[in-house]
Amino acid sequence: MDRTLPPSTELLHGTLDALILKTLASGRRHGYAIAQVIEEATGEAIVVEEGSLYPALYRMERKEWIEAEWGVSELGRRAKFYRLTPRGRRQLAAQTAEWARFSAAISRVLLAT
Amino acid sequence: MRFFNRVFWRPDVDDEVDEELAFHVEMRTRELVARGLTVDAARREAERRLGDRARIRTTLRRLGTGRNRHMQRAQYLNELRQDIGFTIRQLLKNPGFAAIAVLTLALGIGGTTAIFSAVYAVVLRPIPLFEPERLFVVGETFQGLPSSMSVGNYVDANAGVTAFEGLAAEQFANFNLSDAGSAERVIGGRVTANYFDVLGARPLAGRVFTPDEDQPGRDLVVVLSHRLWVRRFGGRPIVGTSIRINGRNSVVSGVMTAAFDLTSDGEELWVPIAFTAERKAMHDEHYLSVYGRLARGASIQQALQQLEAVAVRLRHDFPRDAGELRYSMQSFREQFVGSYRSRLFILLGAVGLVLLIACGNVANLLLARGAARGREIAVRTALGAGRGRIVRQLLTESTVLALTAAAAGLVLAQWFITGVVAASPPGVPRLEQARVDPVALGFALAIAIACSILCGLAPALRLARSAIQTGLREGGRGSTRGGFRDRLRASLIAAEVALSLLLLVGAGLLIRSALALQQVNPGFDPHGVLSARIALPQTSYGDPARARDTFQRLADDVAHAPGVAHSAVTSYAAMGPGGGSNGLLTEDAGAFDLRKLIQSQLRIITPDFFAAMRIPIVKGRAFTADDRRGGLNVMIVSQTLAARAFPGLNPIGKRIGCCEQGADGTPSYKVVVGVAGDVRSRGPATPPNPEFYLPLTQAPDAAWDWIGRTMYIVARTDGHPQAPPRCAPRSPGSIRTSRCSTYDRWISASRRRWRRRGSTRSCCRSSAWWDCCSPPAASTASSRTSSASGLRRLASASRSAHRPAPSYGSCCARRCGRSRSVLVSAWRLRSARAACSAVSCSTSVRPTP
Repeated sequence: MDRTLPPSTELLHGTLDALILKTLASGRRHGYAIAQVIEEATGEAIVVEEGSLYPALYRMERKEWIEAEWGVSELGRRAKFYRLTPRGRRQLAAQTAEWARFSAAISRVLLAT
Repeated sequence: MRFFNRVFWRPDVDDEVDEELAFHVEMRTRELVARGLTVDAARREAERRLGDRARIRTTLRRLGTGRNRHMQRAQYLNELRQDIGFTIRQLLKNPGFAAIAVLTLALGIGGTTAIFSAVYAVVLRPIPLFEPERLFVVGETFQGLPSSMSVGNYVDANAGVTAFEGLAAEQFANFNLSDAGSAERVIGGRVTANYFDVLGARPLAGRVFTPDEDQPGRDLVVVLSHRLWVRRFGGRPIVGTSIRINGRNSVVSGVMTAAFDLTSDGEELWVPIAFTAERKAMHDEHYLSVYGRLARGASIQQALQQLEAVAVRLRHDFPRDAGELRYSMQSFREQFVGSYRSRLFILLGAVGLVLLIACGNVANLLLARGAARGREIAVRTALGAGRGRIVRQLLTESTVLALTAAAAGLVLAQWFITGVVAASPPGVPRLEQARVDPVALGFALAIAIACSILCGLAPALRLARSAIQTGLREGGRGSTRGGFRDRLRASLIAAEVALSLLLLVGAGLLIRSALALQQVNPGFDPHGVLSARIALPQTSYGDPARARDTFQRLADDVAHAPGVAHSAVTSYAAMGPGGGSNGLLTEDAGAFDLRKLIQSQLRIITPDFFAAMRIPIVKGRAFTADDRRGGLNVMIVSQTLAARAFPGLNPIGKRIGCCEQGADGTPSYKVVVGVAGDVRSRGPATPPNPEFYLPLTQAPDAAWDWIGRTMYIVARTDGHPQAPPRCAPRSPGSIRTSRCSTYDRWISASRRRWRRRGSTRSCCRSSAWWDCCSPPAASTASSRTSSASGLRRLASASRSAHRPAPSYGSCCARRCGRSRSVLVSAWRLRSARAACSAVSCSTSVRPTP
C-alpha cells in the first residue's frame, strides 16, 4: 500500500494526498474544511479543485488511509467527516519524509549559486 | 448493492455523493455571502467553482462503489477468519463431537471419491487413441451371437468397404520370449500392418510395421509395448536389435507409448500376422478381432450397408463356410468399457447414498449441538448479529468440518481404491489406473462443499431463526425447542431410514444371490483337493507319445505321494482354467449335418479323476488302467450329454464320433462306457454343459496342441490341505508347475468372477467337426484361455473333409456366447492371462526321461 511519490506529472496529485493527510492530522474534518485549510495555509497559493479533492478522498478511503463518518457540522448540518487511520498516519510520515528529500534535492540544484 | 448496504449499514453511494457535494456547495456559498456577495451570486460562484457537477458525481459514484466493494470484501474475509478461528476453537473444545462428525463424513467422502476414481478411470477418462469416436469393432454374428472373424471374411470386407479408412485385424496369441534372461510367456497380438494406424497410435521409438513386413517370410519383426520394454529390457535403446520370440530371432522395429498400454495386462508385443494366400482364402475359421476406423464424413449406416454387400456376396460364394455370415459393428468405446459403465455408476449411486446418510447423521449431530448453543447464538443476536451473519458463521462451521473430513476422506480413498482394485474381477479395463488424482481431488472438494451445505444449512437456518425469535428469554435456559425443529429432525431421521433401507435391500439382494450361488451343487467336491498346473514345452514334448507318457508318469508319481488318497491329471479343471469343446456326432445320427453336432466340453483324464473330484458315475463304469491305447476307444459322457445325444435311450455301448479322423476318412468312433454326473464347469450360476471324457492313454494326438500340453493335477488328500503340498517333488527339472493351490481357493477366485459376469454359451460350427477343439489351440492360435474369464474360444482345426489337411497348427478360434464377443478381448484377455500365469508357486517336477 505504501506509495512513494512518482517524480513526474503525478507529483501534484501525490502532493495533494500528502496535503490532505497533513490537514487531517490535527483532527477530523469535512471535505470543504480540508480545502479551506489547505488554501489558507498556502496563502491561497494552492487552490484545491473540488474535482480533484473528492476523488482523492474516496481513493484514500479505499486505501484505508482515512475513514469517513457522518456527523454534524459546526453549523448544525449533517456532513461527512474524514479522519486519519493509523495507516494514514504512517503514510503521512512517509510522504513527508519523501517530500523533504525531494525538495532538498531540487533546491540543491535550483538554488545553487 | 442495496442488500450489501443494508447489511453493512452504509448509506447508498448515490445519496452519499449528492449530500456531500451539496454540503460543499452550501458551505462555499456561505463563505462567499460572508465576503459580501448576494446569495444568488454566491451560489452561482460556488457552482462555477465546483465545475462539471455531473462528471464529478459520476466519478465519485464509481469510486465510492469500488471502495464499498473493497471494504465489504475486506470485512467479509476478516469475519471469515474470525469464524474459522472460532470454529476451530469450538471443535477443539468438543473433540468427541468433532471426531465423530469428521469421521462420519470422511467415510462417506472417502468411499464416494474412491468409487468416483474408479468410474473416472474406467468410464469417463478419454481413451488415449486418436479420435476414438471413429473407432469401431467389426465382427461377425453367428446365429445372432457375436463372433470373431475369419481371415477370408476379413480380407474381403477390407477390400469391399470405403466407409472405413481401414480395417485392421488382430489375432491374440501367446509368445515365448527367451532372449538373454529367463524364458517368459507373454500375451501379444499378430496384427495386420495397418493395425496401429487404424487404432490411431504412434510408436514412441522406431516405427510400426510396413505392408512389406506383413508378408510370410518377412515377418520377423516385432513392436514392443512400453510395459514390456520397461519391464524386460529396462527401457534401454532396443530398436534395431534382435530378440528371440518363439525360438526365432525377430528385429525390434518399434516401441509403443505408455498410453497405448490401455490395460495393465493387454498385449505386450505385436508381430505381423502375414497371412498366407491359403489363409486369406479361409472363411470358416474365426479368430480375428477386427477394428475399423470410420472415414471422415462416413456414417455407420453406410459402413454397415457396404459390409452387408460384402456379406451377400460371401454368403453366395461360400454357402458352407459363410452361409450365415453377417457383419456387425460396435463402437470401440462401448466394447472397451462394456457393461462396467452401468455397474460402476450403480456402485457410485450406492456410495452416494451412504454419503447422504452420513450427511444426515452429521446434520442431526449439528442440530443436537445447536440446542446446547442456543444461548451463545442468542447473545450474538443481542449484540447485533443478523440472521445472515449467524447462518454464515454456522455454515462456516460445517464447511470446516466437511473440508477436514474431505482431507481425511482422501486418505481413506487411497485405501478404498486399493481395496476396490483388489476385489474387482479381472478384466475391468483401466481400473488399476484409478487413483487419487487432481480430478478426484476436485471431486472430493466439490462433494465436501455440497455436504457442508447439505448437513449445515438446515441446522444453521433453524438455529438462527429460533435464536432471533426467542432471544435471550428462552436462550438463557439453553433451550430452543420448537415444533419446526422436531419436524426437521424427524424428517431427517425418516430420510436416513429410507436411504438405509434402500441400501439394505440392495445389499440383501446381493447377499442372497451370493448365498444361492454358494448353495448350488457344482457336481463335484472341491474340498480337500489340491491342484497344480503343469505345462510341457512344445520344443521337447512335441511328440504326442512323450507328452502322454510324461503326464501318465506324473499322475502315478503324485498318486504315490504321502497323504494323497486319489489323484489324477485332467486337461480341464472344472471351474478352473483350461477347457475346450468338440463337436460330437452320434453314430445313429447318420450322415454329417452341422445341426446335429453336439458341442461338448472335452476332458482328457486319468482313471482316478472321478474319485479324486468325487464326481459320481451314475451309469456304467469309470475308466480303468485297461483302457489302453490301441484297445477299444472309450468315452464317458455327462448326464446332460447323454440326455441330449440319446434321449430316452441307454447310452452305454453307443458309439459317438469325435475328435479325430479315422483311417478311412470317417470320424473316429468311441464307445460310451459310462455316464458321469453333471459338473457345473462354468461356475455355479451356469447350467451344466454337455461334457465328455477321454482317457489320457487314448487322447488324440492333435489334442496336445489343443490343450497346449498343459494339464492340471488334482489330488485328494487325507486331511484338510492348507498349504500347497509337494506338488514340487524331489529334484529340480525343466517342467514348470504353477498355480499350486487348494481347489477351494481356485474356485472362490473363479466364483468371485462369476458373480459379476454373465454366463457364456458356446457354439461352434465347422465343417471340420471332428476336429472342433478348443481354446488352447495349437501353435498359431492363441493358447490357453479360461472359461472362467467369460472369454471362450472354440476352435476347430483346419483339417476338413473338403480340403487337404494342413497342420493342426491352424486351429481356429470362434468364440460365441452371450458375453461380449472376443473382438476386443485384447483388453479382456487379461482374465485369461490371469488364469494362465498367476503363478502362485513355481517349482519343478522331475521330468520323465
